[in-house]
Amino acid sequence: MTSESTLFSNRWLPILLVAPFMLLIVLFFYVPIFQAFYWSFFLEQPFGGGSMFVGFDNFARVLSDREFWQAGWRTIIFMVTASSLAVLIPLILAVAADRKIRLSLPARNVLVWPKGVAGASIGVVFAFIFNPFVGILAPLNSISPGIWAPGLDGLDAFITLIAAHVWGGIPFNFVILLAGLQSIPRTMHQAAAMDGAGPWRRIFDVQLPLIMPQLFLTLVLEFTESVTSAFALIDTITKGGPGGATTLLVYKIYVDGFSGYDLSGASTQTAILMVFVILLTAAQFLFLGRRINYER
Amino acid sequence: MKISILAAAAALMAGACSAQAANIEFWYGNTGPVETAIKAQCDAFNAAQTQHKVNCVGQGSYEVSMQKAIAAYRAKNHPVLIQFFDAGTLDLMLSNAVVPVQEILPDVKWDSYIAGARAYYETSGGKLFAQPYNASTLLFYTNKTELEKAGITQTPTTWEEVIDAARKLKAGGHACPFVTDGDTWRVLEQFSARHGLPIASKHNGYDGLDAEYVFNTTFVAKHLQNLVDWRKEGLVKLNADTKAGNYTAAFNAGECAMMEGSSGSYAASTKAFDGKYQLTVNMAPMYKGYERHNTLVGGASIYVMKGHDQAQVEGAKAFLDFLRKPEQQMAFTAATGYVPVTNDVLEAINKSGDAKAAKYATAAIGIESMNQPPTADSRGIRLGFYVQFREIFVEETQKAYGGQQTMQVSLDKAKKRGDELLRRFEQTYKGVKLP
Repeated sequence: MTSESTLFSNRWLPILLVAPFMLLIVLFFYVPIFQAFYWSFFLEQPFGGGSMFVGFDNFARVLSDREFWQAGWRTIIFMVTASSLAVLIPLILAVAADRKIRLSLPARNVLVWPKGVAGASIGVVFAFIFNPFVGILAPLNSISPGIWAPGLDGLDAFITLIAAHVWGGIPFNFVILLAGLQSIPRTMHQAAAMDGAGPWRRIFDVQLPLIMPQLFLTLVLEFTESVTSAFALIDTITKGGPGGATTLLVYKIYVDGFSGYDLSGASTQTAILMVFVILLTAAQFLFLGRRINYER
Repeated sequence: MKISILAAAAALMAGACSAQAANIEFWYGNTGPVETAIKAQCDAFNAAQTQHKVNCVGQGSYEVSMQKAIAAYRAKNHPVLIQFFDAGTLDLMLSNAVVPVQEILPDVKWDSYIAGARAYYETSGGKLFAQPYNASTLLFYTNKTELEKAGITQTPTTWEEVIDAARKLKAGGHACPFVTDGDTWRVLEQFSARHGLPIASKHNGYDGLDAEYVFNTTFVAKHLQNLVDWRKEGLVKLNADTKAGNYTAAFNAGECAMMEGSSGSYAASTKAFDGKYQLTVNMAPMYKGYERHNTLVGGASIYVMKGHDQAQVEGAKAFLDFLRKPEQQMAFTAATGYVPVTNDVLEAINKSGDAKAAKYATAAIGIESMNQPPTADSRGIRLGFYVQFREIFVEETQKAYGGQQTMQVSLDKAKKRGDELLRRFEQTYKGVKLP
């Protein structure tokens, strides 16, 4: 038969090997998701004891709620800006570190470090860095008071979030992109150089086309991850404020469910958000993924 | 035959157990000096008797404590005692997860609680649902040293005087005359209560689940617009305007000269001011021409959760009895600034000879503030999903402070979103009567 089935002579062994992991996934992923979908059709009392089937009422309520759409738009804006930057900046760094220049070796090392920092810790640090009184932008305020005020100005708060997200995204994307660049045979560079292509030309015509698979991977991961991973940053830096300006969908779900005890509404929004992310990833594979040439 | 012996043995065991010691759990949400004081009470209880042992678990905040309680209750793994804050009163009353304290402790003299505290937590039949624990109310804090520097010798008592003082402070070069965080409890609830204004119809929900918010049409709208204007003038500062980033921290550090704050932060302020500034606390300011009514009891109270065996309930009762003791309440007040809300404790303080001491400063003023003549709208707040409404109110008013929309638009939007919450609450608890 197929080659896979010949690897394991015992039919149960592979299942047994996978079982512990599958059990965890089912327990901590599929069960909660099923629960969320289930609750989205009920009006659920916080402490249990009474739940009422309401059909699609919760969906109608959420979809007609202006706050939901606003949070949705903010999520999309954050996703597009933050994830493009979180790929673009590591790309520039990776291209630079790939070249045989001074300090490129230590740079390759140092740039991976932020990977070890938890989102919440990044948030705490960035809240301090961008503090309007003591942070790096404080001098701006001494020139023109109030120009940098993330606690009052929604745009400033949003910029802080994006900066923190991009910084946190650098290491992983950097490693993937650098690995892609390093796997390009030197002979390609040499051939292009012999044909008279300068460094810039070689980046656009040789390196970038050849690392498309890596770029695609980082983009897909970034887009899906930025939807949910912003939570830790929002919770530590802005708490969704000022005036809800940084309330992305994932944070709204948390607030609705856990401080508002709106389990049904939060579940409904979770269901909608999940469908959105699945569709988004499918679209990326459908429209972008097909054009990528994995052969070298 | 054998089975009946086993059953008898089991019954005996159960009987023996109920008389034996119970380990009970108590969840609270406070941190800092208050948490230290709570832990001290738990230790004192465990040291004072050997029958029961209370295990006090800090959850970091009221919200987190409640989230965990909901999850734990659904998993049947919940504590027997839980502290919860004022805003969740109705959510808990209708949760079917708690037993009214007055029901399981019928012999306690609950009348000794001052009327303001009772009104907030009692059923329509006059039974207390929860035992007030760390009760607080809104007070007006001033940095006397800074005020005197600016030539203000009388502590302001009206908003007009507060703003006059703020102008003087500003003229004297003070960067932050008055600070607030614009929190719902401070600027909406306590303001409305003491000015005799309703927040919602049906007397803030006391008369039925079909109440609607009305605060956007009352005088509070004018006050909030004033705050916006005063902030533009540089007289009022918000959290984000201060170096400290938080209004109490800014006041305690001497950055701001006046603030409206909970009596519960009194201990932290006195500690921070020690030797540097002189602290004054008074009742919160009124607008001229308005008669003063009571402020609401804030802070938190303790609920007894359902689903525990008799031994645990006995332990819980013993712990609640212990916390109600005058000497315990006095020690807690002295350590934190929270207000004792029973008359016998007030008497005990007066008799102790320490009545004028700084550690009891908030007790007298806080009680005086909560004992002002009540109205039907200053009993409390009995509105569903109110915790979430507080966040909506802050979110919408922040937009007004940030200049994105006028305060009236903010309040109208907050009312609309709040009403949606109330309707959903009504639907969630369809057919349930207010207790």
